[in-house]
Amino acid sequence: MHPHDHTPITVPDGAPGYYEIMETAMRELLAEKGLIQPAEIRRQIEVLDSRTPQLGAKVVARAWIDPDFRARLLAHGRTACEELGITFYDDTQLIVLENTATVHNLIVCTLCSCYPRPVLGLPPDWYKQKPYRARAVKEPRAVLAEFGTVIPEDVEIRVSDSTAIVRYLVLPRRPDGTENWSEEELASLVTRDTMIGVSTIETQNRRVQ
Amino acid sequence: MTPSEELLKHLPNDIGGLSAGPIDCTDHELQPWEKRCHALADVLDYHKILNTEEKRRGVEALGAEIIGKLTYYERWIAAFANILFQKQVLTPEELAIKMDEVAARHAREAEA
Repeated sequence: MHPHDHTPITVPDGAPGYYEIMETAMRELLAEKGLIQPAEIRRQIEVLDSRTPQLGAKVVARAWIDPDFRARLLAHGRTACEELGITFYDDTQLIVLENTATVHNLIVCTLCSCYPRPVLGLPPDWYKQKPYRARAVKEPRAVLAEFGTVIPEDVEIRVSDSTAIVRYLVLPRRPDGTENWSEEELASLVTRDTMIGVSTIETQNRRVQ
Repeated sequence: MTPSEELLKHLPNDIGGLSAGPIDCTDHELQPWEKRCHALADVLDYHKILNTEEKRRGVEALGAEIIGKLTYYERWIAAFANILFQKQVLTPEELAIKMDEVAARHAREAEA
């Protein structure tokens, strides 16, 4: 997986910066005016913390073992996820893109950072930064190579550009040799990057080994 | 295309297809204020005060220089302030006064 920069969560000298002060002031003013409740912010932080790629992995594993669910997922992404108890707190639609022997999908938001947050959590920094957003739609194979992912030339790469209300999730291919695996074992193979499309299950596991 | 045409046809957020350097795959854990900022945006969306597209446009309206120099959530909070001023939900003066109060409170807590 990618190296993580574990920046300390407290500001070293203790003094909050200008933008943190702006955030606190804005939130307190809005609460004083009765437009928001402090409890709503705390509750939403809990919601954000509860969303991780494990939810997406559960959706993928279910689609691999249950063809009827897979069909419903590809037809209506959001309602199929809701069947598994995943709520869509941000009022977005979800389109699930299935990788096949001939098509590999990649998702991006060229304009900002739209991402299937209800099923994957918040996006990684690189997803929000210029190099990925600018290049994914123009040279996806070069971008994938930077993630260690090489897709055969005869496989078409489709890049889907997210919007404020329509989000995408990649349904990776189930690896060969997993016919007898349990749903939980299958879910453990599925990572965030495979559901964005910058990795495949195979390249992901090669990197881990 | 002349440089000024280029500016008009590609607003700061509209970068799909441009050339850019290598992807930096390092990630950072959100700081508590960044997470609160995200939660604030979601709560304002629930209350129909500020939606995702307004947020995106608000960031765009900061202009290329600010977008280039501020971090992700710094851009967000600056954009929210401008949008809330435009919508007359807050005034610049009340935000400035409140920010002074918050800074003074932190200073007092640091001394205590």
